[in-house]
Amino acid sequence: MPGYAIVLASGKLERLQAVGNIASIAAASEIPVDVFATMDGLEAFDKDVIEGMDFEMGPVGRAMLEAEDMDMALFDENFARAKELGPISLYACELSMDALDKDLDDYADVFDDVLGVAGFLGHAEDKQVMFV
Amino acid sequence: MSEAIQPDVTIDSRGATCPGPLMDLIGKVKKADPGTVFELQTTDSSSKNDVPEWLEKAGHELLDTVEHQEEGYWSIYIEKTE
Repeated sequence: MPGYAIVLASGKLERLQAVGNIASIAAASEIPVDVFATMDGLEAFDKDVIEGMDFEMGPVGRAMLEAEDMDMALFDENFARAKELGPISLYACELSMDALDKDLDDYADVFDDVLGVAGFLGHAEDKQVMFV
Repeated sequence: MSEAIQPDVTIDSRGATCPGPLMDLIGKVKKADPGTVFELQTTDSSSKNDVPEWLEKAGHELLDTVEHQEEGYWSIYIEKTE
């Protein structure tokens, strides 16, 4: 299994959760995963956004957050746990960061490095690419 | 009989949603010796179905699944192979 290269460009909570879940279980099962967080997908990792739970979300996301009997780990926690269990790397998009004059310290502590498009394509060339 | 299974390790993932219970299990199984028997407790019905899928891929053995109807959770018994 060559693994997955996931381009995460959406800041919608349901999409972030889905990517977090799939990528985490893949990595924990020893399937290599590279996640490239870009555009709105990177901004979702901003520490202030996470703290304020300031995400775009639809009915499924709201239902999951409001259900008292559901203890849902947020995508950033799932990524952090997955990194302890298997081969997963996260990369932050350099262009998105430059546009907002940010650095990695502004984001949740899950990123391995900052990458441009060419750098990410290098990581992706032997993997199945998913665009979210 | 499921009552006869004595787990070496009990993992209480009740309340956690997908993929929490499976992540809890994988983390513990990786560190354990072959032959270790686990009981994974979960209230998440998708995990009840998803854990056996993972076991098949990973090659570990599903011993039994027991539903605790009154308490509203499942116990999934697993043995780590090689």
